[in-house]
Amino acid sequence: MSRTTAPARTPESAAAPPSAPPPGRRRLGRKHREWLAAGLFLAPDAIGLLIFVGLPMVLSIVLAFYQVSGFGSYTWVGLGNYERMMNDPLFWDSLKITGIYVVVLVPVLFCVSLGLGLLVKQKLPGMSVYRTALFLPYVVSLVVVGLLWKFMLDEQVGVVNRAIRGLGFEGRSWLGEPSLALAALIAVMVWVSMGYYMIIFLAGLQDIPREYYEAARIDGAGGWTAFRTITWPLLRPTSFFVLLMSTVAAITGGLDLIFVLTNGGPANGTSLAIFYIYQQAFVFGEYGYAAAMGSVLVLIMLVFSAVIFAVTRGGRFDDDR
Amino acid sequence: MLQDDNDVAPSPTPSRRRFLTGAAGAAAGLAAAPALLTGCGSAGASGDTLQFWNFYAPSNSPDPAANRQSQWFVELIDTWNATHSVQIELVFVPQGTYRGGAKLPSAFAAGDGPDIFLLSPGDFLRYYNGGVLADLTPHMAAEAIADYGSALESRTVDGKVYALPMEIEPLAMFYDVAAWESAGLSEGDIPTTWDEMLDAGDKLRTGTRAGLVFDTPPGYYQNFTWYPWMWQGGGEVLAADGSVAFDSAATRQALRLWQQAVESGIAPRTLPAAGDAVSAFAAGNVAMWQQGIWQVASFGAYAPDFRYGIFKLPVPPGGEYTTALGGWSFCANAQGRNAEAAAEFCVWALGSTKEDSIERMVTWCTDVKTDIAPRASALELGAARGGYDFWAMKAFRDDIAPGGRAEPRYPPVVYKAVSDAIQGTMLAGRDPADEAERAARAIDAYTRSYEGASMI
Repeated sequence: MSRTTAPARTPESAAAPPSAPPPGRRRLGRKHREWLAAGLFLAPDAIGLLIFVGLPMVLSIVLAFYQVSGFGSYTWVGLGNYERMMNDPLFWDSLKITGIYVVVLVPVLFCVSLGLGLLVKQKLPGMSVYRTALFLPYVVSLVVVGLLWKFMLDEQVGVVNRAIRGLGFEGRSWLGEPSLALAALIAVMVWVSMGYYMIIFLAGLQDIPREYYEAARIDGAGGWTAFRTITWPLLRPTSFFVLLMSTVAAITGGLDLIFVLTNGGPANGTSLAIFYIYQQAFVFGEYGYAAAMGSVLVLIMLVFSAVIFAVTRGGRFDDDR
Repeated sequence: MLQDDNDVAPSPTPSRRRFLTGAAGAAAGLAAAPALLTGCGSAGASGDTLQFWNFYAPSNSPDPAANRQSQWFVELIDTWNATHSVQIELVFVPQGTYRGGAKLPSAFAAGDGPDIFLLSPGDFLRYYNGGVLADLTPHMAAEAIADYGSALESRTVDGKVYALPMEIEPLAMFYDVAAWESAGLSEGDIPTTWDEMLDAGDKLRTGTRAGLVFDTPPGYYQNFTWYPWMWQGGGEVLAADGSVAFDSAATRQALRLWQQAVESGIAPRTLPAAGDAVSAFAAGNVAMWQQGIWQVASFGAYAPDFRYGIFKLPVPPGGEYTTALGGWSFCANAQGRNAEAAAEFCVWALGSTKEDSIERMVTWCTDVKTDIAPRASALELGAARGGYDFWAMKAFRDDIAPGGRAEPRYPPVVYKAVSDAIQGTMLAGRDPADEAERAARAIDAYTRSYEGASMI
């Protein structure tokens, strides 16, 4: 390897303080340099978020003040779309259904995922197979999941009703009755998502030092006491993350599943706000109205997130200040 | 040439020039991003090539019937391209995405809709009012318009044609002959009234077999299948003068029919076999199902040995027979890059007086699919060639389609009001009178401020 002709630096010259910056050119301090580095590292993400999330959000807020034909015509209507929203019973129904959906889905999903996380943490033979099996539904397309459950929940020949009839009970139309359809949607969503949140809980559980449990056992603590006094408090950051993510996912996700399973029916029984917004935008071409409803939904989501932050103190431990 | 780290002069801070160069690069990237994004979703083809968005071709399916349909489109475009300077390319959009998805609406909303596309009657008014449907009349001969006859009514505004139907698809009742016989029913028991239909359904149903199936998922298709039951009793959504007529005895009667069928357990609340009629019939899970002429081809392809029968939709006491006629059309984008050529293509393909145009429709409706040809000349030619000799096709042509009405072209708000009334009574057990009244109020409020082409 050839060397350059630059003069070799002596230890003295290497140790010498850097020459003074030229007039008008000030050298950045260490802290500023770190900020600059951090900024440069964050820039690609920030720019991406700005273009793909921030800008569309701003445009969407602006769009909410227009009546949009869906064919390039924009008419300023001011708060017209919001007024329409106030008088739209279907929108309020969709919010109500979304509320029920979130309030039931999130706690059930939390408990099931935590329970599974605790189970698959056990060191038993073949545990990796169970973990994989439980995570598998999450990697399957929601459309496929929807079709699969649509057949399983079929009121005549579905495996669920066959099993129920086998036990001597009457089968039900799980996707054909408004209240049952929402329950079925929640159940399928729990089945799909539990593996993902289980893995997150598992990571949190594995972070808890084993010595704590050993010390507790020596002190005579049972399983429940150990969970209540060690696992639960130390899982707080993980629990916060799961709670927040599952709430946001419940409010904004699941569209594909609704499409395949029920198409918002029966009788709008599974027409969640996100589905109603999609329908207004892409089926009815009411982009301005959909944008107004979307803005309100984002606001609701922010309120939910703020409440979760407040209740869990952002997942911080008690002694964090 | 590689250098050792020691050879590199220390650079504690990035130079201003380097920083500015980087920033300029980032800015250029930012500026280019929207253009790149637009390019990603563009419907515009390269050069002068027009795009024809459809849900048939080009595709390669394990289903031979789907391949025949794809081939028909490919040959159509090949023939055009070989004889015209303006070239067209087919863009396949999966049916689920095309019908209920965001692709087509998003393209139009972005001002970048396809040059040629397929349109259902239910969507006609929205696209017409949006100003994206090109007038096809200047390219059509008067005799071709006359040849289409009433098939153009729902695609015409102020005497101008904006879409050309490629097919007519009437609805009828399909039934399982073996189930019919095993229930002790004969040809003489074919229902002609609603009560007879419910009685037959009651006799035919078992623990795993639905006696009678009406469409259950909310959507344009469910409305399409429900309208004939309302029409048969003289009901209308909108009267001839444009006033709201939905809150009527005929509407309540039709809503009650579907409600009664579901509540008595004769009709299921969800579609058997997830809506796959042929599979459900073949598996013995359904005895009667309101379906369209397209199922004749499906039975031929997937259950050729299955014995099925067809009868006209029964009527209520004092009612008059009618059915709904569906079917898709070719449309040209008035805001496309070459609306003239796109319109010319639509007419050349389906609406010309030339033999090959008629021939093409005959092939589509009798060889490739099983449909009623919308043009009288194509229907005659298809019949002369034996395209309607098969008993089911003959029944559709001679008994079921005559007296049918084109699928309405109501805008989304009207569709939604009707849909909510059907869903509310059928699946949520609400009072038909209340639902009809509520829907009529919603439609009335909408029609008062509606600005656009006539809805009827």
